[in-house]
Amino acid sequence: MLKFKILILLSLFFTNIIWADEPYVSESLLNEIGEKYKIFAKKRFFALQQTLDSVKGKSDLEKLEAVNNFFNEVRFASDMKVYGKKDYWASPWEFLGNDMGDCEDYVISKYFALIYLGINYEKLFFTYARSTKFDEPHMVLTYFETPKSEPLILDNLNRKIFPASQREDLTPIYNFNGDMLKEIDKENEKAHKKWDELKLNMQRKKI
Amino acid sequence: MTLYKQTALMLSLFLLIILSTVLVLNFQSANKGVQDRLYEDAKNTATSLSLSMGNANGNVSIMSTMINANFDSGNYRNITLVDVDKNTLYERKSESEIKTVPKWFIELINLKAPTAYANVSAGWNQVGVLHVQSDTTYAYKQLYTILIDLLISFAVITLIGLTTLNLLLHTVLIPLKEVQKQAAAITRNEFIIQRKIPYTKELADVVLGMNNMVAKVKAMFDKGNEELKAQKELEYIDQDTQLKNRKYLIDRLPAYLKVDASHEGGVNILIAISGMIEANDKIGHQNVDKLFMDIADIFKTHTKNIKDSIVARINGTEFSLLLPNCSSSDALRLAKSIQNSCKSAIGATGLDLNETIISIGIYEYNHKNSIAELFAHSDNALSIAKFNYEHENIHLEKAESAVEVMGKEAWKLIINKAIEKNRFSFVSWSVIDTKAKKLAHNVLSIHLDLDKHTSYTYAQFMAPAIQSGLCSNVYKKVVTMLFKNSSMLLGASIYSLRLPHEYLEDKDTYHNLSELLRANASMLPFKLIIELPDKLVRQDSKNIREYIELFRNFSIEVGIFEFIGEGGDYQYLQDLRPIYIKGEGSYFLTQSDQSLSALRLITDTVGISLIAVSVMDIETLGKLKSRDIHTVQGYVTEII
Repeated sequence: MLKFKILILLSLFFTNIIWADEPYVSESLLNEIGEKYKIFAKKRFFALQQTLDSVKGKSDLEKLEAVNNFFNEVRFASDMKVYGKKDYWASPWEFLGNDMGDCEDYVISKYFALIYLGINYEKLFFTYARSTKFDEPHMVLTYFETPKSEPLILDNLNRKIFPASQREDLTPIYNFNGDMLKEIDKENEKAHKKWDELKLNMQRKKI
Repeated sequence: MTLYKQTALMLSLFLLIILSTVLVLNFQSANKGVQDRLYEDAKNTATSLSLSMGNANGNVSIMSTMINANFDSGNYRNITLVDVDKNTLYERKSESEIKTVPKWFIELINLKAPTAYANVSAGWNQVGVLHVQSDTTYAYKQLYTILIDLLISFAVITLIGLTTLNLLLHTVLIPLKEVQKQAAAITRNEFIIQRKIPYTKELADVVLGMNNMVAKVKAMFDKGNEELKAQKELEYIDQDTQLKNRKYLIDRLPAYLKVDASHEGGVNILIAISGMIEANDKIGHQNVDKLFMDIADIFKTHTKNIKDSIVARINGTEFSLLLPNCSSSDALRLAKSIQNSCKSAIGATGLDLNETIISIGIYEYNHKNSIAELFAHSDNALSIAKFNYEHENIHLEKAESAVEVMGKEAWKLIINKAIEKNRFSFVSWSVIDTKAKKLAHNVLSIHLDLDKHTSYTYAQFMAPAIQSGLCSNVYKKVVTMLFKNSSMLLGASIYSLRLPHEYLEDKDTYHNLSELLRANASMLPFKLIIELPDKLVRQDSKNIREYIELFRNFSIEVGIFEFIGEGGDYQYLQDLRPIYIKGEGSYFLTQSDQSLSALRLITDTVGISLIAVSVMDIETLGKLKSRDIHTVQGYVTEII
């Protein structure tokens, strides 16, 4: 029994080493980000990696807290201001590289960081919502512990994570998870127009 | 296969491959477009329906109603709502068969409508995932219409393309057709110079090369023609009187003294003028020469109405007037008239008629006489005339009349009977090419078979036939027999048949021959050469051209017989291009080297071979070979 425990511990240790060896942003991509967005951007990615590393192996809630807090430090700016477009879904590298973005960009970066930390994609949804406070369309990342449990809201307007029932300033409109839709029909290359564009940009390492 | 066909086939194939590829690509593109459209429709429905279902707060009956409303109003194969535990909450499925397009088309295309998915939520909570799949019926119908349209367009474009290609190729290859025509003409020894030089460089080079070659060959022919003309003038014309000479008479006599001669006989008038040495002394050479010119004119004037007559100067003071079909009494009247005219001419010069005497020997010849006999009897008659003062130096000698087995009327009866009863048969003898040591062809001759035991040769019956005016009828029968019963001649692959001018000049012959050839020429089991008399061919008349064209149309070659190169111009040989020329062996042997080489230049240029006939012995054959005449006909072919 002791030998079995040691074996499990060793395997967990090595898994940890292998996991630790795979950073959220690869070395080469980091260099490219450094060249494009200068040294401070690179430092932000180091800080991100530190944040992510600090919650590895911890509970989903701790991971949600860490990721939500980290990205909510990024400044809000419209797509028109940052990218010259009315609506653009930025990759996590563009978002942190520019150090600014709109609500979708926060959701995207938080989603992929949480996936990196090992959270099941089926628990996370991009939720189209309406901000009753600003009377504007908005998007938040929702976390479902189980498919039928009350979701937690990761928002950039209200920086703290609250259960959905406590977010009366938001009216939910539509939940969406590109990975989930993709998983139903793997042969189909299309799932959602914006999502498909985003995935393509990420494949191409667009920064 | 012609270049046109090869190119047309290749380009047509190329065009068809391109058009087929375009057709397939177009259809594939349309197919993909339709499939994309199917997905987009499904996706739009899935998204809009899932958004609407968000207002149902998770109430399955409301959501089912929404699904029903969508499913019934649109073209969907399937709409399914699956909850978060992957259980089906509601499903609508269309099971209808596609009937608007043929079954083979559905099996061929096998269209798969992709399914679109959308998350369905109720407030913050998840309800599940909505599956939407469009119905392919409309897509199949649309694709089938596209395919039919494409096929129609393809057929029209192919038709237009192939027609244009055909026209273009035809235009591009027009110069090549001209080149081909010129090349074919060269093969047939025709001299065509192409004036229109093609714009395609390669073809232009070929045309220029062929033009150059043709020009050179034509120049050679013209040179040969000129030389032969000059030689003939020297050889056959008396330079003082411009009358024909003794050589001409000798070369022409075989045509008069033969079994199938056109005329049974006639007279040969030998005229001698004595006392010319004294005349020279008295009035001088120039006046004597003028006197001879005047006398020559008198001869010409007196004989101009006698068909086929020959007036020749035999030597310095003797002249020969060969008058076929002329009776002795007519000859005597003519001789007296000539003598009187000559006397007047002599008297006009101031010469004494007792010293300058005109003696006339008349020999009434028969076509069965030999040349030697004709000259011997004519000389004899003249010798007697010179001393026949009683009859003003004119003497008539008649040929010993041959003992005829049958009279003219009896022959006429036999020949008419033979024509009526079909009593002719063919015999043949060989023409041998002694150089190649092979049979050149077989010459056909005709026998008249009286009964099982008696038959007459061509030599025996043809003379009375001609004299009775039955020659044409005999040949009409024989030629019909040749074409209709050709199977009886299976011994050789090439036969030749002489057609006499009596038959060819008959007004019905051309029509009869045309009918015969049209009906039977294609079934002839051998190659046929029709021999035409040079006398007729050299006139180069419309009539003879029509005959030659008729024969050539039925792949029958034409040869020439009884050639003595009498014509002033040999252009007709180039124009009519006979396969060979047959002349008497003696004719070829008596020609000067220059004359023969000029003839060879002409015949070689247009690919005509020379054949010597009536070659009787090995010695003559040897002489002919030394003159480069190797193909012979006659008794000698039996002994070599």
